[in-house]
Amino acid sequence: MPVPALTIRDLRFSYPDASWALSVPHLQVEAGDHVLLVGGSGRGKSTLLQVVAGLREPGSGSVEVAGVRMDTLRGAARDEARGRSIGMIFQTFNLLHGFTALENVFAALMFSSMPVAEHEHRARALLSTLGIADADAEVDRLSVGQQQRVAVARALAARPALVLADEPTASLDPENTETAMDLIQSACRAEGAALLCTSHDPSMRARFARIESIDAMIAGAAR
Amino acid sequence: MSAKTLTDWQIVMRSLRARPLSTWITIGMVATSVALLLVLFGMRTAARGAFDRGSGNIHLLVSADPSPLVAVLNGIFYANAPSNPIAWSKYQSIRGAFPYQWAIPTQQGDSYRGSPTMATSTDFFSKFEPVAGEPWKLASGKFFERPFEIVLGSAAAKASGLRLGQEVFLTHGSGASREGSEPDEHAGHVHTEYPFKVVGVLEPTGSAHDRALFIDLESSWILHAFDRRERAGISGITTAADLEDDDRKVTGILLRLPTRPGSDASAAMQQQFDTLRRDTAIVVAQPAQQIQKLFEIVSNVDGIFIGMAVVVLISSSLSTMLALYNSMAARTRQIAVLRVLGASQGRVFGLVLTESLVITMAGALSGIVLALLGGIAASAWLKASIGLVIDPTLDPRSTVIVLGGAVALGGIAGILPAWRAYQVPVADNLRPAA
Repeated sequence: MPVPALTIRDLRFSYPDASWALSVPHLQVEAGDHVLLVGGSGRGKSTLLQVVAGLREPGSGSVEVAGVRMDTLRGAARDEARGRSIGMIFQTFNLLHGFTALENVFAALMFSSMPVAEHEHRARALLSTLGIADADAEVDRLSVGQQQRVAVARALAARPALVLADEPTASLDPENTETAMDLIQSACRAEGAALLCTSHDPSMRARFARIESIDAMIAGAAR
Repeated sequence: MSAKTLTDWQIVMRSLRARPLSTWITIGMVATSVALLLVLFGMRTAARGAFDRGSGNIHLLVSADPSPLVAVLNGIFYANAPSNPIAWSKYQSIRGAFPYQWAIPTQQGDSYRGSPTMATSTDFFSKFEPVAGEPWKLASGKFFERPFEIVLGSAAAKASGLRLGQEVFLTHGSGASREGSEPDEHAGHVHTEYPFKVVGVLEPTGSAHDRALFIDLESSWILHAFDRRERAGISGITTAADLEDDDRKVTGILLRLPTRPGSDASAAMQQQFDTLRRDTAIVVAQPAQQIQKLFEIVSNVDGIFIGMAVVVLISSSLSTMLALYNSMAARTRQIAVLRVLGASQGRVFGLVLTESLVITMAGALSGIVLALLGGIAASAWLKASIGLVIDPTLDPRSTVIVLGGAVALGGIAGILPAWRAYQVPVADNLRPAA
């Protein structure tokens, strides 16, 4: 039986002086599953993804990504595990400016366990599949749509078990939202990666078989 | 050809290229300060070398100057004309009291257009070496062989424009000669009665001797005898036959003691030094010792200059630190993205520290090239203009010390910006810009 992409148990996280806390008794995302996490803006969706990625420290509970307990790892070991097992897609892409599309994908590979000899083939193949014709173009010269494709390629480059997409379509119009989500979901399926996507857009619900609400994971005044 | 992957080095170089003005200005500042330090070190070495070159293979210098240091400055470096003469009989008694390898008499006091004249014997050219192991060489002509022949040091020849076969008139004292500009009232008088014929021009030696003109002792004595006779109301040309004992004076004696074959040191040095010192009418100096003393005296000034250059180097390191530190504000998102992709805090710290080291190393290497090119240009100019020979190569020890110091400072300068990068809060810097 394949290892789940994400397993959260008894997770609790709160910001200092906040009147509410994230409280996740149990959340599991199976390998290859696509899950939509919904909820209004500022409800803690991004925070949960950051806790899963090991960018924020949970108060208690466990976070396991591809069988690795992220919450028990510290420092470089946690960074290394994130680079190996998690890909992240952001609303504003967060590409490395001044670098080419190819180099942006390389940036994900240089911290992965993939042998250097395979980097170029992997990056070019991924960019080509996602429709980037000129992999050597600087990302600043690409269109917004192309930049998003580069961001998706970068998130999938290291063959992560889990892709965390944080409001990937928040700044797009409905037509482009469809296109972007088609791209993200088809790429994740093609790579066999699980997807945990956050959105406050109700129209996204139709794209996912499984939907979780952040509201059910909030304890305290904000609920 | 495109890259096969991305490396830390490429990230560092891309980051530096992303802010070219700041990078080049910082490199320029480091280069300037490193070049300044190397030039100062080089000047110190060159100055030391220039002083070392003047005394050549002399063991002891005897004169009637007030102190040994003044004796060396006057007798070897032509600082001033020695005011107190030594009788010829004293010279003969010193020479006869010990089996010296040679004892060369010198007399200073005359000049030509401000250049000092040294009256001496032919041994000065055949036995004395202005630089140990490097005997005199003629650029043209010959050494003097008889009275009223004059040999020019290389810088003196260049300054005066004199050529072989030309005649010159010397000045008794340090004032202008007949061909020079208006002499002042304190200047000596020009001996138009006695023309000296230029018979030789010397190759540069890199020592103070290059500024001097050389004549034989008898000529000088005749000039002085002429003055004595004129004061006594005796007119007419003075010749060697008119010389009296009182005319035969010298202002210095260059001595070389017996040595073992292949050695420059003499076992008799201390004993002979002490023996000569007992004569209160003269002073005796060991030139090497006096030059060392002179450098000890000026070492404080030397230290101030070196200190100033070190301050400039530290300032350039502070600039490196500020440039990098300020750039961090614009790079927090890039750092956060690298962290999300799997870069550890230590790796990010290393990237920024490497940037600082690259800037410093590039600056230091540029500074070395700058100092080397400047040294070659200055050396060529000094040799062409005043005949001063200065080695333009950089002292390897100083270069390594300056390079090491600059790189160490660059490393220290990178710590604060690298620490700032280390502490970038990742999650907070991934949010969309407001």
